[in-house]
Amino acid sequence: MDRQQEFVLRTVEERDIRFIRLWFTDVLGVLKSVAVAPAELEQAFIEGIGFDGSSIEGLTRVYEADMIAKPDPTTFQVLPWRGERHGTGRMFCDILTPEGEPSLADSRNVLKRQLAKASDKGFTFYTHPEVEFYLFNQMSAADQPLVPVDNGGYFDHLARGSTHDFRRAAITMLESMGISVEFSHHEAGPGQNEIDLRYADALTTADNLMTFRTVVKEVALEQGVFASFMPKPLADKPGSGMHTHMSLFEEDHNAFHEPGAQFELSKTGRQFIAGLLVHAGEITAVTNQHVNSYKRLWGGAEAPSYICWGHNNRSALVRVPMYKPGKGNSSRVEYRALDSAANPYLAFAVLLAAGLKGIEEGYDLPEATEDDVWELTGSERRALGIAPLPDSLDEAVELMESSELVAETLGEHVFDYVLRNKRNEWDAYRAQVTPYELQTSLQFL
Amino acid sequence: MSSTTSGTGRRETLTRRLLRAGFADLTRSSSLWADDALQQRLRPDDGESLLQALGATADPDLALLQLVRLAAAPGAGDRMDSLLAADASTPAGLTRARLLAVLGASSALGDEIVRRPELLDVLADEEPSTGADPAQVRAEMLRAVGADPAAEVPVAAADPTPGTDETPSWADTDARTATDALRRAYRARLLRIAATDLTAADPLVVLPGVAAALSDLASAALEGALAVARAQLPDHGAGVRLAVIGMGKTGGRELNYVSDVDVVYVCEPALASDGTPAMEESAAMRVGTQLASRLQKVCAGTSVEPSLWEVDAALRPEGKNGPLVRSLESHLAYYERWAETWEFQALLKARHVAGDVELGAAYRDAVDPFVWAAVNRDHFVEDAQAMRRRVEQNVPVAESDRQIKLGKGGLRDVEFTVQLLQLVHGRAAEGIRAANTFAALDALAHAGFVGREHAARMGECYRFLRSLEHRVQLFRLRRTHLLPTSEEDLRRLARSLGMRGQGADDLMRRWRDTRREVRALHEAVFYRPLLPAWAQLSDDELSLAPDAARARFAAVGYRDPDGAMRHVVALTEGTSRRAALQRQLLPVMLGWFAEGADPDAGLLAFRKLSESLGATPWYLRLLRDSGNAAYHLAHLLASSRYLADALARSPESVQWLADTSRLEPRGPERLAAEADAVLTRSEDPGPAATKLRALRRRELARTGAGEVLGVLDPVRAQAAISDAADMVLLGGMRVAQYSARSEMGLGPDPAANPTRMLVVAMGRLGGREMGYGSDADVMFVHDPVPGADTKQAQDFALRTARTLQKMLSAVGPEPNLPVDADLRPEGRQGPLVRTFDSYAEYYERWIDVWEQQALLRARPVAGALGGDADLARRFTEMVARYRYPAGGLAEPASREVRRIKARVEAERLPRGADPTRHLKLGRGGVSDVEWAVQLLQLQHAHEVPALRVTETVAALDAAEAAGLLDELDAEWLREGWVLASRLRSALVLWSGKVGGPRGDVLPADAWALSGLANLLGDVGTGGELEELYLRTSRRARTVMERVVYGEE
Repeated sequence: MDRQQEFVLRTVEERDIRFIRLWFTDVLGVLKSVAVAPAELEQAFIEGIGFDGSSIEGLTRVYEADMIAKPDPTTFQVLPWRGERHGTGRMFCDILTPEGEPSLADSRNVLKRQLAKASDKGFTFYTHPEVEFYLFNQMSAADQPLVPVDNGGYFDHLARGSTHDFRRAAITMLESMGISVEFSHHEAGPGQNEIDLRYADALTTADNLMTFRTVVKEVALEQGVFASFMPKPLADKPGSGMHTHMSLFEEDHNAFHEPGAQFELSKTGRQFIAGLLVHAGEITAVTNQHVNSYKRLWGGAEAPSYICWGHNNRSALVRVPMYKPGKGNSSRVEYRALDSAANPYLAFAVLLAAGLKGIEEGYDLPEATEDDVWELTGSERRALGIAPLPDSLDEAVELMESSELVAETLGEHVFDYVLRNKRNEWDAYRAQVTPYELQTSLQFL
Repeated sequence: MSSTTSGTGRRETLTRRLLRAGFADLTRSSSLWADDALQQRLRPDDGESLLQALGATADPDLALLQLVRLAAAPGAGDRMDSLLAADASTPAGLTRARLLAVLGASSALGDEIVRRPELLDVLADEEPSTGADPAQVRAEMLRAVGADPAAEVPVAAADPTPGTDETPSWADTDARTATDALRRAYRARLLRIAATDLTAADPLVVLPGVAAALSDLASAALEGALAVARAQLPDHGAGVRLAVIGMGKTGGRELNYVSDVDVVYVCEPALASDGTPAMEESAAMRVGTQLASRLQKVCAGTSVEPSLWEVDAALRPEGKNGPLVRSLESHLAYYERWAETWEFQALLKARHVAGDVELGAAYRDAVDPFVWAAVNRDHFVEDAQAMRRRVEQNVPVAESDRQIKLGKGGLRDVEFTVQLLQLVHGRAAEGIRAANTFAALDALAHAGFVGREHAARMGECYRFLRSLEHRVQLFRLRRTHLLPTSEEDLRRLARSLGMRGQGADDLMRRWRDTRREVRALHEAVFYRPLLPAWAQLSDDELSLAPDAARARFAAVGYRDPDGAMRHVVALTEGTSRRAALQRQLLPVMLGWFAEGADPDAGLLAFRKLSESLGATPWYLRLLRDSGNAAYHLAHLLASSRYLADALARSPESVQWLADTSRLEPRGPERLAAEADAVLTRSEDPGPAATKLRALRRRELARTGAGEVLGVLDPVRAQAAISDAADMVLLGGMRVAQYSARSEMGLGPDPAANPTRMLVVAMGRLGGREMGYGSDADVMFVHDPVPGADTKQAQDFALRTARTLQKMLSAVGPEPNLPVDADLRPEGRQGPLVRTFDSYAEYYERWIDVWEQQALLRARPVAGALGGDADLARRFTEMVARYRYPAGGLAEPASREVRRIKARVEAERLPRGADPTRHLKLGRGGVSDVEWAVQLLQLQHAHEVPALRVTETVAALDAAEAAGLLDELDAEWLREGWVLASRLRSALVLWSGKVGGPRGDVLPADAWALSGLANLLGDVGTGGELEELYLRTSRRARTVMERVVYGEE
């Protein structure tokens, strides 16, 4: 029993916590939870909690269903929405095989492995996600039209706006769980909000994102609305992305920063971006994992559809934000394709892998794009060597299938699982007859 | 004695006197001796005494040269006169002896004395430098930089302003900075230690004292450097407590003359008077980092005086990537969560050496529990083995003959053995938790974990190796662990170790003997005490108490220590010669089993083998006399159940293990000759068949052993297994024909056969790619002799084929070889045998594309043992036009191949099997690759003759060479096929089971995977093997789909 574990046991005792939720994430990025009583906690620390993994998406092969969830005591938090007395605590878990090895199917472990690879090269990977989501009025039935909670626009301050209250409540709750919020504002769509998490190492950020989604949904429920991270819930309004700022540190020095270089961007930073661009297509099935994701990517409204980079170019896939003179450690690159429904562990892992590959292989970075790429004609883009991102889940899966980079990063097991699952999703979607088709064709054909 | 020659009788020439005294370069020494600076100070009678004294040094020539330089040095003056004139037994004489010893053994220290002749005063001090009070040494270094040794936090005096003639606050006014003052004081003390060391009667005896003195000096220097570092900060780093923890040899108080000093820094804010921290932790860490990096600069940075040594903080949490200083809590948090086993081993040596004493002690107390719990960590066994391999491996080949520290039998080896024993037993026995190697060895012996005799011998070896290292380093004061190569350097080395008469060759011999002894001692120290008391070789030997033995067995990887102890007892029990031999053998074998995947199974198999063979005179003798045989046997038994069984069944095969050339396949000719001899003695079907099958069993064992021991690559192993199958088929055919003739009353003469017969190998047998558990796919062809009755001929052929099948397939005492003829025309519905003409007609009229494909691997079996070579040739010619169709494969036929492949994929995989793990029929398995290759053969063999082969890999190579596959595709297919084939073989070897539902499935449990990985040897851990197979097969599948289905 180490000190951190003892700390958790003590806290549970002192604060009279009645349940501890053990959280982990399935391969699709859905949070799973199993509750244990305080009496079982000590055992959980020592041996972990056994569970049947065969019913969890992507976790096991059928014939070895037994898995073990081992809580990570450093992630212990009391869940604020469960009340002060007789509260509920939570910890993230690592998933282990019965032999005590890290499970190949655990997406948290996928990210850990990739971070270890970066660490072997002397890098620490930091991320800073800007999470967008919509708030809708509660619906009594699924076929009712979606009604956003307000009609505000970008940065609007709405007097007595419910979303304002909402954000305040959500942020208070997040802060009480030790998750720092950088920024929050109303986004461009009606009822759409953005909350930015403070930058932290990628594993922490990914854990925080899982908590974040839960907190946002909880707060919404408390306020009688509901929150959705669906990438494109409204066809004619902007989708919800998760622009993510990334940086690599060598010890306490930002490896992307080089004073005097173009955009103060070091060679490492340029190679990292080049890696992102070269591999952008093949990692898209992970960063944008749903059929619906592609409706955001190709639905205009500043979504990045084309593979290029630029300095402060809001149409580019990768953006190097304006640097603040003298703040060398804030150098970073922003990847704009990622959406709020991705599995953050896997998404960060493939982004890091793509960037590192660029550094390893010393990829050359093409010229920055200054134009608004949506304004260019197809031939102009071709002439400039700007390729599109996949335009559907189907195409993204096909690109991923032949990607050695993604296979190596996810590990063969997760790789195979994601491919199968995404192919099924596409097949199921293709089998649908949509209201749109009925509207446009039923009468005329 | 020599003194007589100087005074009385015939005066010897100077050359002769020099020669007798032990000089090597006589011409140069003569002229040096005559140098004015020396002779002016020498009274006539002093000469001989001085010459004798010079001759006593390690390198008289060097000593004389340095002495002449010193005599001429300004400032040496008066001090020299009394020294040169001294009588050997006076105090001045002893000083002279110390001076000359240093001059003759260390050119670097000699240069230092020439540069600073006042150091002669240091040598005049009679107090020995070993055994000095560490507190005094610390005070000496602190005073040297003007710091108060009694202060709680000593701070050095400020440097005098550069460019002025301001007097520094310390005594040694030649030093203009505190850094230089410290370095000069350090060197003076180092000289003192070297003098004591070099004038000791036996350097091995004083070695621990010297090493301790060097460590105390290093600690004191670190303290001095910290005082200097504090002086450089504005407020002297007030409010920050910094403890310097010595690691490695510094921590163990066993430092050598020149090496990096390993440290870790612990830093805390000091407490203010009200008990609260004086500053924030992050601020304290910043100051601590500054102190530590300045401290390192004082020791190793550039200055007027040469640097002391590198201060290496790489053993800190997170190594070079981690922050330089951490708080105590941050250290502990790291050790709780992240640290690896070797880091705990390193912590064993941690000891406060400078800075805050209380903090240092708190650190030691806090890390202690981690060290002693390390043995219970998951993976301790694997980690310990990996650490040991690192000890043995990391030596460049060019240096391996000269490395004192690393490599087998080097210093590290001794240290590793001692530390491993401490980790294994230290949890229960607090008495053995010493950081110092000598102390730990004594304690281990005292507490009954190591035999006294062994501990003493190990200590002796260690002292010798360390002394060697010390002398090598002293010469130039360089950090080196390499023996020199030149004769001159080796001679000096030998003389400096008191081996004056023996010289370089003897030194090298002793060095090699010592290394060998260290190796042997590791086994003896670690494994011998695992034998029960009555099984020990002598009364001095030690036997571990059951708990300790259990811990030791478990620590090296035995899962059932009690079982292991029982086997050991059974093997060594009794007074027989056999038991006596086992007592010698077993300790080493126990170590070797522990290196295998399943030590328990290895030991059990060894016990069984020994019980069945114990009485055989050669068995134990062979194992005792041939280290190779014993090692190979241990390796096989602990990694392969199949071979453990096979060796138990043909024990004589143990003899092959002494000489790996006997594991080479015998080749078809020798096998044929052997089978021929068997059949000539008896053609009675029953016994003859059994004998043939026994021959094959023996060859399977040989091949398996060869493959596991790395003598055979997988492709050659498959060929050898196929050759053995050919041999039984041909031999069996002879027996079957004999029995058919007697059934039909045709008499014993083979000339009476009504028809000529041929076995055509198909499938993996045809491709010479059989595994240990493969069936033999065949077709039977016969061709009636002219004038024979066709019905009789068919009857004869059918009887022969049936008998052959029955003979080889029947279950019996020897392993069977199921003979499967399902690939014949019309499959199971068709007749078992056909005439040559019938085959030709059938193929002409009815051949299907799948039959064409199957024919690609048709290989008529014929050779010295039998088989009709002429019929074989005709058959090969006849089928050529079907398997290598002119113009390639027409599109409808290609489409048919694809369709069949798709159907086979859907149907043949056993129900419930995971396609990604089925090695034969799964995704990217053996079958996928073969289909791809065979389709290319059907399409292109008519134009690419090199494709007309039955072996998959050969065809693949040919396809690549002809440009039908690009390099990467060919590589992926080959890797896929080879790995899957190797795994199929390894599965049989590991589990000992042939066939069965699991026989072709990559296992999912970690235990079996790591066993397979261990067998294959070059694929990493079990987990890595799984990942590797999934990757390799995925890639092979991609290429197959491209080739067969034309998918891009």
